[in-house]
Amino acid sequence: MNARSLFIPATLFLVLAFLIGPFLIIVAASFSAGETLAFPPQGFSLRWIAKVFTVDSFRASFAMSMFLAVGGTAAALVLGIPASYALSRYRLPGAEIVRTIVSLPIIVPGIIVGLALLRYVVVPFGVGITPALFLAHTALILPYAVRVVSASLDNLRSDIEEAAVLLGSSRMGAFFRVVMPNIKGGILSAFILGFVTSFNQVPVSLFLSGPGVRTLPVDMIAYMEIVFDPSVAALSSLLAFLSIGIVFAAERFLGFSRYV
Amino acid sequence: MFQNRAEALALVLPAALFAAAVFLVPVVILLSDGFRDPTGGFSLAAYIEFFSSPLNQAVFLRTLKLGAMVTVVSAVIGYAAAFAIVGLTPTMKGRMTGLVVLPLMISPVARTYAWIVILGRTGIVNQAFQALGISDAPLRILFSETAIFIGLLQLFLPLMVISLISALENMPKDAVPAARVLGANWFQVFWKVILPLTREGLVIGGTLVFTGSLTAYITPAILGGSKVLMLETLMYQQVSVANNFVAASVIAFILIVMSFAANILLKRVATARNKVRSAK
Repeated sequence: MNARSLFIPATLFLVLAFLIGPFLIIVAASFSAGETLAFPPQGFSLRWIAKVFTVDSFRASFAMSMFLAVGGTAAALVLGIPASYALSRYRLPGAEIVRTIVSLPIIVPGIIVGLALLRYVVVPFGVGITPALFLAHTALILPYAVRVVSASLDNLRSDIEEAAVLLGSSRMGAFFRVVMPNIKGGILSAFILGFVTSFNQVPVSLFLSGPGVRTLPVDMIAYMEIVFDPSVAALSSLLAFLSIGIVFAAERFLGFSRYV
Repeated sequence: MFQNRAEALALVLPAALFAAAVFLVPVVILLSDGFRDPTGGFSLAAYIEFFSSPLNQAVFLRTLKLGAMVTVVSAVIGYAAAFAIVGLTPTMKGRMTGLVVLPLMISPVARTYAWIVILGRTGIVNQAFQALGISDAPLRILFSETAIFIGLLQLFLPLMVISLISALENMPKDAVPAARVLGANWFQVFWKVILPLTREGLVIGGTLVFTGSLTAYITPAILGGSKVLMLETLMYQQVSVANNFVAASVIAFILIVMSFAANILLKRVATARNKVRSAK
């Protein structure tokens, strides 16, 4: 073998080992039988996987994260689909301004959004912790919803709905019976992207979390600062397999990567 | 295109008003805090105070330094990885790209946590070092700039690799063979042919990696601890420990200026590329 034919496999091996190796180590560590987080794992057991389900704070924060990811994404789509439709189908003065306002939360670091919301919305208007987190996550997902739905609307020819309107359908009817069925894949992709973004989000939730009300990743960080056992590793592996599963299913059935 | 303006506004206003109320207005007020003196007039005193503290200077410079280092190193590794992947058969290329992207789907908390197991006092690296006799006592690798650097590199490298893969694929197929035939060595081929032809991909990947590193919170929080701070962790401390909202506003403004600058650069390059495409 000469140097060049070795270059490709060696490079790929090293890069993938660096990118994926740590994750495999976490998975291995979560099956450890020992008391502390270690690799190589001491023995084999499912005790830490089982423990994850018995920690009360994990259960509560998991429920909170699920609620924010599902509810926030749904709310972002309810706001984002009509906006994307107007931006792609209507001649609208100031369309660029709207597009910028709606997409800014992607560029601005989440910790700033969280602090600003806390200081100037949550405290002055007395908003509760859960509604505050819900508002923040919706604002964060909105740009993704608008971007993905806009992309699939732009790929759909607009003359089919004009034809529907000419043939006597109302504008609303044309949207729900002609446009919606054609952008279903885009909407579902936006939902999955929004869900994963919200579920993994930490900085936005930092300042907004309150006593006993936390999102799962924030709770995991708090837990690992106090307890050095493999349960966070076990939880991380479970979550990783969950999100990889969701994205794979989405790619297989929807062609997810076409939209994102 | 529909012309009915009232209809269009009714569709767009809920989203725009929501984003303005929940995001834009609060953030603008927060940023203005840093520019006001106690009487409400304009003042740069908070900025002068922030930058006159040696601790803050160190954090600011460390953030820039780590951002730059992660970007440069990810570009070097990224080119090697992208070359290796682009040269594969289509099936293998798809699989390898999938494996590179895979970590992006895993929670950053989980990905960062893995480094505690690897770099900790009893971690794999220290075990190996002691077994090989490189060091007698466990080295302190966690809670250092090195740990943050490794964590950030692992977090953002996939973005660089994907950008460079698509840049290399869009390169004219015969450019490299032509340069070789004309007598260029591999160094010249890279410097004079590949780099200029993949510049856009490099800038896009670099911007994503750089802004990502500057505004990372999880990695410095877990791998840097409470002593080795970056701008985001310093901002968190200023609010939650020191209760200093003015300093937090100053840091927020610095972070936003840096992200916007990188983003504008990205847009510039993207439009320049579209112009080249449409000119063809």
